[in-house]
Amino acid sequence: MRTTLLIARDELRLMIRNKVALIAVVLMTLLTLTAVASAWSHQQHAADLRARHQSEAEQAFDAQPDRHPHRVVHYGHFIYRPLSPLAAFDPGVDAFTGSSLFLEGHRQNTANFGDVRQSSMLVRFGQLTPAFILQTVAPLLLIFLGYGVLSRETERGTLRLLLLQGARRSQVVGGKLIALGAVTLLAGLPAMIGFALIAGKPGASALPMMITALGYGAYLALWAIIIVFVSACVRRSRTALIGLIGFWAVTVILLPRVAPDIANAVVPLESRLQTDIAIGRDLRRAGDSHDANDPHFAAFRQSVLDRYGVDRIEDLPVNYKGLQAIEGERLTSELFDQYARRAHAAQLRQNRIVQTAGLFSPAIALRSMSMAAAGTDLAAHQRFLDQAEAYRFDLVQRLNRLQAESVSYANDTASDAGADRRKRIAADHWRQMPQFLYRPASASDLARAALPGLLVLVAWLSLAGLLLTAALRRLGGR
Amino acid sequence: MTETAPIRIEDLVVDYGADAVLTGLSLCVPAGSITALLGGNGAGKSTTLATLLGFVRARSGTVRVDGIDPGADPDGARRRIAYLPENVALYEHLSASENAEYLLALSGETPAREALCEAFRAAGLQEAAWSQRLAGFSKGMRQKVAIAVALLRRTPVLLLDEPTSGLDPRATADFNALVSAVRDRGAAILMVTHDLLSAANVADRICFLDAGRIVEDLEAEGPDRFDIRALHRRFAVTERAAAA
Amino acid sequence: MSLWIYEVGLILRSPVALIATLLLAIFAGAAVLAGLHEVSRQQAAIAAIPAAQAEDNAAVAVRVAESQDAGSAAYYSFHPTWNAPSTLAFAALGMRDVSPHMLRIRALGLEAQIYDGETFNPELALPGRFDFAFVLVFLAPLFVIALFHDLTSGEREAGRLRTLEALPHGGRALWLRRSGLRFIMLWTALGVPFLLGALVSRAPLAGTAAFVVIVAAYLLFWIAVALLVSRLRWSSVANAAALAAIWLVLALVLPTLANVVINRALPVEQGSEIALAQREAVNGAWDIPREDTMRRFYANHPEWDGIAPLPETFHYKWYLAFHQVGDESVADQVQAYRTGLERRDAAARTLGVLLPTVGVQAVLTRLARTDLQAQLAYQNDIRAYHQRLRAFYYSYLFHDRPFAAADFGRAPTFVEGG
Repeated sequence: MRTTLLIARDELRLMIRNKVALIAVVLMTLLTLTAVASAWSHQQHAADLRARHQSEAEQAFDAQPDRHPHRVVHYGHFIYRPLSPLAAFDPGVDAFTGSSLFLEGHRQNTANFGDVRQSSMLVRFGQLTPAFILQTVAPLLLIFLGYGVLSRETERGTLRLLLLQGARRSQVVGGKLIALGAVTLLAGLPAMIGFALIAGKPGASALPMMITALGYGAYLALWAIIIVFVSACVRRSRTALIGLIGFWAVTVILLPRVAPDIANAVVPLESRLQTDIAIGRDLRRAGDSHDANDPHFAAFRQSVLDRYGVDRIEDLPVNYKGLQAIEGERLTSELFDQYARRAHAAQLRQNRIVQTAGLFSPAIALRSMSMAAAGTDLAAHQRFLDQAEAYRFDLVQRLNRLQAESVSYANDTASDAGADRRKRIAADHWRQMPQFLYRPASASDLARAALPGLLVLVAWLSLAGLLLTAALRRLGGR
Repeated sequence: MTETAPIRIEDLVVDYGADAVLTGLSLCVPAGSITALLGGNGAGKSTTLATLLGFVRARSGTVRVDGIDPGADPDGARRRIAYLPENVALYEHLSASENAEYLLALSGETPAREALCEAFRAAGLQEAAWSQRLAGFSKGMRQKVAIAVALLRRTPVLLLDEPTSGLDPRATADFNALVSAVRDRGAAILMVTHDLLSAANVADRICFLDAGRIVEDLEAEGPDRFDIRALHRRFAVTERAAAA
Repeated sequence: MSLWIYEVGLILRSPVALIATLLLAIFAGAAVLAGLHEVSRQQAAIAAIPAAQAEDNAAVAVRVAESQDAGSAAYYSFHPTWNAPSTLAFAALGMRDVSPHMLRIRALGLEAQIYDGETFNPELALPGRFDFAFVLVFLAPLFVIALFHDLTSGEREAGRLRTLEALPHGGRALWLRRSGLRFIMLWTALGVPFLLGALVSRAPLAGTAAFVVIVAAYLLFWIAVALLVSRLRWSSVANAAALAAIWLVLALVLPTLANVVINRALPVEQGSEIALAQREAVNGAWDIPREDTMRRFYANHPEWDGIAPLPETFHYKWYLAFHQVGDESVADQVQAYRTGLERRDAAARTLGVLLPTVGVQAVLTRLARTDLQAQLAYQNDIRAYHQRLRAFYYSYLFHDRPFAAADFGRAPTFVEGG
């Protein structure tokens, strides 16, 4: 153990004396701090803005005057996707999904106004967040610091000298690993401080955060091992450096871009235009509430009349137009759900393809894991969309029921001068409508979603460890 | 005679910032002669060569290579110089003849195949080695390739940097013979060396360099050429001076 | 000339240079193929619009046949718009994956429609597309580093530097020749796949030439950086590390940092506020006297005033008028929003003058018409088309003319760039 620590200390001393390395570490620290601060304030700002918009939208909804309930169906409601506390660490797809959704009757709208369409093209270069720094920049820094740990000694012949003096190979490699590990800890420290700050936020839960910390730890440890492994296998420092940068470029930069393209090609998504037209087609087939001769609604009307034992709509104790609206909404929503489920299933298939690519790129595995744990992945967005749709359906049906029960059929169909006044119901009905409350995924759900990525990382780590052990035997043999 | 000498240096002063390296060096190497430049580390030997090659600019004084000022026209000077560094490193994955051809091309020459063979023969390189990759060559063999290139280029000046360091006695003797042959073709040869014996064997003149100037200038005389003992004493003095 | 042949011979024997060039060519080729595939997918989607839309139109025609109400026709009819990819889009897909290239609109309030997005998988969009621009901006510099980091230091480390430099053609000319050769190799590796792609998609000569020149200029920039670093006379390893660090800063760190700074310095009025305000204006119309709405409408559009008075009962004239008044009430906010986006874009472009990575991306997406400006231009097209649609339906509504089956065919069709 003493030998190992001595070797580690020697290596660290060398790194400290290397001015370039020192400057790199300082720059990296500054960059991380900037990222932590900027991501933190961006998250805070976005969360506040959305909360403010949400309360404004609720006030506007509640402040509606006396209205016909169907007017309110069309007036609709705006809801905003709240930002998870961990978005300050890894905002994931937040910028790429719209943050606001307009809910109205007969329609399922897209979430609009995502940052990606409101920013310059710079946003496509990546986002400066602690997650980005740890995923992308930190490995490169480790490469710069560590490519020579063993190749340098091989190149200069000092490795054999060390071994001749009685140091065991495992001690040499262990010492180098400890040194690089210490630097890794140092490099990850600022991000971890930011992480700890976030942990203090309300709503941040321990389990997913622990998994995140574990995942990033495994990822950086993996890089340290890969670096020592490559450094042990080659005879020249230059080969180690070029090889490692190449590996980094392929796994961190290239594959994360290629995999989505493959996924897009293998599982094409239906365009919104095609979906809308298809829904329209299905709707016409299912029944059109606005069409008096529509067979579905003719049957529906008959069933209503039968239920109440009357012959004419006018004799119903409830407003038939309201019932018709309820039935119409049920039909359309069913279709919307069906298409949304299909689109979501296709996107899940795409993501699975990308996650398979994670077997070849630890960066992809880590990204999936990190977003899943932070609740900023597609699943979290889909969760929001699902809850929004459930809320929309409930809201619209409540309004339709109000129409059926609180507006008489006679008034609803009247067109005399005072009819408009008689169709309206009191404004306090709007205030009684429930408010949208997004229920974020539970801590255990987030942790479970993050687990596959973590497993891939652990598998990578074990494989790298095995490779390093194998390389150990040949070390200094040439 | 000195006016037409291919290597002519007068009152040369060279400094790297505050460090004065050459402090008034004067040296003249006529055609068909070998001058050996001896001196301790830091005496200015390498700087002298670098100045002739145009890598280093003179602060003052005159430097002429076959009448050309290398400071003003380095390419012109280099066209007239064949230079052998201490270790002739060439392209390991190319053969001897490929290396020679490439170096000649970089000198602006495209010799005929026979001329190259003749040069290799003159340089003493065995025929079997011509098409071999350089990877397995000894220092002596590499030097022979470089000398062959120099022979083909027929430059009036040949600069040698520590040519015999690391050569075994047999190879040293071969090399000395080869250099003498080049001299006999009329080249002016300046060799920078630590190897007193070799210098005494082959040089027509030996100059001791100390603190950037020539402190002793000996010409070969009679059948014994140089008084080896005197040279040794002299050499020891300059070495000590350099060490101090 | 023979010198060049020798240099080619030398480089052909260096496995690093050969493999690197081949790899870059493969990446560029794959990116071009991926780009062509994506573009043809978008083209196919656009080409499929008329057939799909015809079905929709027919259904609306049936619905309106009885009433012959132009208002109903306007209310139910969707009109497709599209933004076809340019012939160069395959090389720089830009924002086309996250912004819609097809949008159906109705002659109702436009502000509630124009910001609608396209279905896309955000997790796939997050890392950015694998297109030619990516290969050029991000990967090509790494290949420049691989080929240039040891240009002189490698010779020095092999002990050949002095020998080479002492030869009359062995100094600057030699480095220029070797740099030139490596440059040509990289340029070819990038340029040939691109040119093939341009040929396939029939890109115009000027744009293609501009692309090729930009590729050369960007490569030369990185070569210049590599040569500057080599002047420090560091070892090959130190050169490679320094160059990779410079790459990291120029390609990843500074652009992401600039994005934060720009978005902070140029706050953009949230688009959702426009949607909120427009909704208030549109729905508020039901709660104020209809005449107020019509007065505001006629004030801006006197050409429709007084032709036929509003009847007692519901009339689409009023409905469409308050939609338009709703749009007009947020016109200032829309303008401000747009100006904000343009200012952010302009700031990024200005940065592009200093940062070649950003600059090249900006110029390529501009040439390929896949940038924010192209998106805003598409929105302009939609707005212009929407105006024509309104005028078309108003000419029936405000003149109380029946809207017959044949009139569906008379609706204006979308024209790109019009």
